[in-house]
Amino acid sequence: MSEVLLEVKNLCKSFEGVVAVEDVTFDLLRAETLGIVGESGSGKTTVARCILRAIDPDTGTVQFNSSNGWVYLTNLPHRELVPLRREMQMVFQDPFASLNPRMTVREIIEEPLIIHGERSRSRRLDQVMDILDRVQLERDSLTRYPHAFSGGQRQRIGIARALVLRPSFIVCDESVSALDVSVQAQIINLLEDLQRELGLTYLFVAHDLSVVQHICDRVLVMNRGRVVESGTVTDVFERPQENYTKLLLSAIPSTDPDVPLQPLDREQLGI
Amino acid sequence: MDNILQVRDLAVDFTTDIGITKALNGVSFDVPRGQVTAIVGESGSGKSVTANCVMRLIQPPGRIVSGSIQFSPSQGSPFDIVSLADKDPRLHELRGGLISMVFQEPMTALSPVYTIGNQVAEAILCHRDVGKAVAWQEATEMLIRVGIEDIERRMFMYPFEFSGGMRQRVVIAMALVCNPEVLICDEPTTALDVTIQAEVLTLIRDLQHELGNSVLFITHDLGVVAQLADYVVVMYQGRVLEIGTVRQVLKTPMHPYTQGLLQAIPGLARAGERLATIESVVGDADITTPYPLVKLADGRQVSLPPQSTPGGQESE
Repeated sequence: MSEVLLEVKNLCKSFEGVVAVEDVTFDLLRAETLGIVGESGSGKTTVARCILRAIDPDTGTVQFNSSNGWVYLTNLPHRELVPLRREMQMVFQDPFASLNPRMTVREIIEEPLIIHGERSRSRRLDQVMDILDRVQLERDSLTRYPHAFSGGQRQRIGIARALVLRPSFIVCDESVSALDVSVQAQIINLLEDLQRELGLTYLFVAHDLSVVQHICDRVLVMNRGRVVESGTVTDVFERPQENYTKLLLSAIPSTDPDVPLQPLDREQLGI
Repeated sequence: MDNILQVRDLAVDFTTDIGITKALNGVSFDVPRGQVTAIVGESGSGKSVTANCVMRLIQPPGRIVSGSIQFSPSQGSPFDIVSLADKDPRLHELRGGLISMVFQEPMTALSPVYTIGNQVAEAILCHRDVGKAVAWQEATEMLIRVGIEDIERRMFMYPFEFSGGMRQRVVIAMALVCNPEVLICDEPTTALDVTIQAEVLTLIRDLQHELGNSVLFITHDLGVVAQLADYVVVMYQGRVLEIGTVRQVLKTPMHPYTQGLLQAIPGLARAGERLATIESVVGDADITTPYPLVKLADGRQVSLPPQSTPGGQESE
């Protein structure tokens, strides 16, 4: 089977005494897509941020199978994290807030290359052009500013920025949630194409269960900072074991008017 | 059919530095009395602008350039909302009285500096000639009805002390407390978690059955449409593409755009495969030319080129 790319063990994080993540443990395999689902406040984004060290966890470890062998991401001083960030990147939720309005598309996509020490202007441009093609943006986009683009195109710019360093691991934090359904379908297809072409591994944080069901191989269900259920998407969605998962699934409104919405009751389930 | 609202040829322009944007371009549809009518569309389709026209909330640089919205209340004579003067007393009566609205973001619809009880009672005091004690009592009853527990204490609490779902229940109570004939809901569950959304949808559905008012529901979510609506209006680029009963539109969509919208939703049936995009479903079909809505034999209406609008030919 595939090798392990990321190993998360007993991750805990509190904010001013409020427990956000409690004892979260899981593995991520190379080239798979692992979803984390849960309601707001379940801790799913905090887990993603702890892994990338955007915030520091209180306790627990995260090990990453980098191109130079296994490293502990937790405990690593920030100076030593920088080179590792070539290999792990993030695509954010809001395609409006996550792009600097004063930078051109070229500057936005080029910036990670500059930060990571690519001195040659022409080599940088080559890489920017290549990634632009891969995310299917026109080449004349380079000199334009984010405001000239639609939400879906902006999300392509954000994906290009994440991919330009050729990472192996991408965290998608609600990356398609802000998009209209037609644009969402295009971006999901793009993420899947890129995964096949580049062998990417995705950690896909989302509250939309049908998106997760479509794009993910395995899924973790989180409630109040804990992983309550995990397994393959088919197992979890078709044969949920935990009451909390059943509650989430029962709340999805079907697009068939003859399948009435009958959400389960939180109290009856004892949640 | 008995329609409480009849929207005809509604056109709204927004004048900007770079020219005029036609937000609505000849929108016509009916809202049948006592039923739930959903307007579904993507961003920029004009669905919220349509809702705001009914409340006459379009402000400069926006302008209603033509069209009419015939409102037929159960008592009194019908009138056109569009042609009411800004100072017409009927407009005050309309807003929050005969027609009320639930917005997407409950935190912006509530004032942070007044208690919950105050805000719901205020809606009553604005529209009816009753004393404060009566208003407070009725506000309490309505809040209990929308599922706020521990009411004696909660009446004196502020919006920030409520969760998102509870706040939306308060906004719904505020909208219903004057027993409006039409309730407009503009994406009322979009900002909520799926579990809370299910609770709020169930609440809206139950209250509608109980009170029998007419609902105009604006959403981009076809799952929400399927669960709540009796009739569906599909909008795209400021125009209506298709109108029908919820089963007609969702089970046998006629317009290629509606078909694309439905197929683009990720679901188990297509797990592992590529998602259909609207472009791939629509293909060469022309969805941008404003063909007039044609009424078909089964009552549905569709805007298609004349050669592809036979009586009920379904492409699925």
